Amino acid sequence: MKKLLFCIMVVMLVLGTAACGGKAVSSEASGAQANADNGKVIELTFWAHQQPAWNDSYQAIADSFTAENPNIKINYEFFPYDQFESKLQTSLIAKSGGADIYELWGGWGVDFASTGALAAMPDELAKRIRDDSYPATYGSLEYDGKLYGVPMEFNIECGGMLVNLKLLEENGLKIPETWKELIDSAKKATVFEGDQIKIKGFDFVNWDSVSFLLTSMILSNGGQYLNVDGTFNFTSDQAKDAFGELAKLVLEDKVTDLYGLTGGGDMESYQLLFSDMALFVPRGPWTIAEGIDTFKLTYGTDFTYAALPWYGSKPAFAAETGWSLVVNGNSENREAAFKFLEYFFKDEVVLNHNINCAMIPPKKTVAQSQEYIEKMPEVKILVDILDKSQYIGHFNTDVFKETINNVFVDYCSGIYSSIDEALADLEEKLNSSLR
Amino acid sequence: MRNKKFVLLILIPAFFHLAVFMLMPIIGSGVISFMDYNPLRTDNAFIGFDNYVRMLGDKVFYKALTNTLIFVFSTVAINLVLSLTLAALISQLKSNKSRSFFRMIVFIPCVAPIVASSVVWGGIVFRTKGGLLNMIANACGGNAVNWLGDANFLMISVIIFTLWADIGYNVILFSAGMDGIPAEIYQASEIDGAGKWRQFFSLTLPLLSRTFAFVLIMTLISQFQMFAQFEVLAFKNGPQNSGLVLTSFIYKTAFVYKDMGYASAISMFFFVIILVITLIQQRLSKVKWEY
Repeated sequence: MKKLLFCIMVVMLVLGTAACGGKAVSSEASGAQANADNGKVIELTFWAHQQPAWNDSYQAIADSFTAENPNIKINYEFFPYDQFESKLQTSLIAKSGGADIYELWGGWGVDFASTGALAAMPDELAKRIRDDSYPATYGSLEYDGKLYGVPMEFNIECGGMLVNLKLLEENGLKIPETWKELIDSAKKATVFEGDQIKIKGFDFVNWDSVSFLLTSMILSNGGQYLNVDGTFNFTSDQAKDAFGELAKLVLEDKVTDLYGLTGGGDMESYQLLFSDMALFVPRGPWTIAEGIDTFKLTYGTDFTYAALPWYGSKPAFAAETGWSLVVNGNSENREAAFKFLEYFFKDEVVLNHNINCAMIPPKKTVAQSQEYIEKMPEVKILVDILDKSQYIGHFNTDVFKETINNVFVDYCSGIYSSIDEALADLEEKLNSSLR
Repeated sequence: MRNKKFVLLILIPAFFHLAVFMLMPIIGSGVISFMDYNPLRTDNAFIGFDNYVRMLGDKVFYKALTNTLIFVFSTVAINLVLSLTLAALISQLKSNKSRSFFRMIVFIPCVAPIVASSVVWGGIVFRTKGGLLNMIANACGGNAVNWLGDANFLMISVIIFTLWADIGYNVILFSAGMDGIPAEIYQASEIDGAGKWRQFFSLTLPLLSRTFAFVLIMTLISQFQMFAQFEVLAFKNGPQNSGLVLTSFIYKTAFVYKDMGYASAISMFFFVIILVITLIQQRLSKVKWEY
């Protein structure tokens, strides 16, 4: 009896293991192609995160695509943003099921492109993307000479800033055109309540802005934060100068505090601006829609989006790859998925999608087109500087930002005795993360 | 013999569940900890003990370990004292309805999902501007404190919240243990002249030792595994990683840095800590009496 029980347990264990981890053996790959050949409808699954404006735009694109290609149907599944990355990752790990097409944040591309989990773009499409897109928009989708996605936007977090027009007027200020004017205005507008800042003059302390400001300040001063071999260099004179300037804004000028990185504040910096608690906030243009839709403010009356003055004499900034579309490396409908991506990358489709979603286009021709500027006049200041951008670099940008933010907070909290010590530690930490 | 076979047969589904969902992940994690592992890659290199060597030289790991130990031993100690005291006070009430009412009151926080209550505490109680604690501090003439943004206060804040959220379970368990002690023992001690304090320390506490051991071990293990409140209350692990505990470090290493081999090595270390504590606890809590 004991042997029998033992045998039953082993069989159940083996069956359970197979059920949990077994890869579905399928002959559907050839079947899918056969369906296409037979004129049957191929259904593509597309996973994206929930964002009403984006989701509506996707649906419209899918409808027009299916009208042109009646044998391919796109089925969307939208997930809350905080669950989306883990769902995407789990489905790619499983190597079966999941979707045919994924919306992918560029920063994740570095982790996925090198693994074979994504399908490489066909050569002709890859060439079109490289020829007509800004390098920052597809940098993280590249690996070993191949391209693993289609960029949907130019993700820009530097070069523009939100301005609270009510506070600007109350303080008798005008939109600054130089770095010095920016800091002088910020100091004038900052208001304290006890030892807490009630109104922040220039709130750059948030997850993205410290890193993007620091790198932009280094570049605009003629420096570089990356060596030729891809390692980090944060001990240059330009880096010390830029880091010192940012720390001075917190420690001496006191135009903002560290709450945006340490917690304790209940709102993001741009939300503070929309609540009349910050004058200038450097953030991407996606925040404009937040001000209008969530805070019910009027663009041009309550707030505006203006050019962020350059710190140095040479306009330059780093940008990371933004939202993109990729094809599952294990999809049985790859050809149909590529066809959809090719359609998506057409000028008129990208143009409408970027306008509907308030994005900066990844394609040079679309971004510089008269039609786009007419529809999106508030981001012209950004479109004008897109060619001053460089791809941030092929590394995990979450680790990059976190390391810079931690060192910045620690320096401002007195953990380091000097800027030299802080930046040497930053450089060492970042280089050790490049494994 | 027949009864034994039946028991074994009945236990098969439980063994199956235990093997597939408990044992296999532990073994799998142990294997992965010896690899430079990314599940998306086809080839994952075997790197021997490299992940463990790296762990022993990693300052962030030691920070997470220290934070975990501080958090666990503080919460467990305070939790046991408070829950035992509350249970003893409630058991002094004569009316059954009153006892049930107060037990229900202290148990309510346990029913609320910990993520939701963490968000509420972060936004209402610990908020720097207009938060409940700072309003009290200001009313008493004190300065506002950045509860969640100051490295010196973050862990204290999480401990306070965890005690509020977690104490009700143990109050119920201790109450049940106290209700199980025969009334005759107390009556006999009263005849012998024992007062309330003497009864508590010489009768209640010793006779609760089995319940106490159970509560201690379950609380210890659950506190080691706490994760949600650190994710919600400690923004990006807090300043100077003051809110980084082993569970959040494992999560971050595996799913943000995609370094699953290293995350598995930390998990194995974590597993061994909990295993050792459990074994010690079981040995110490053996009793040879019953009532």
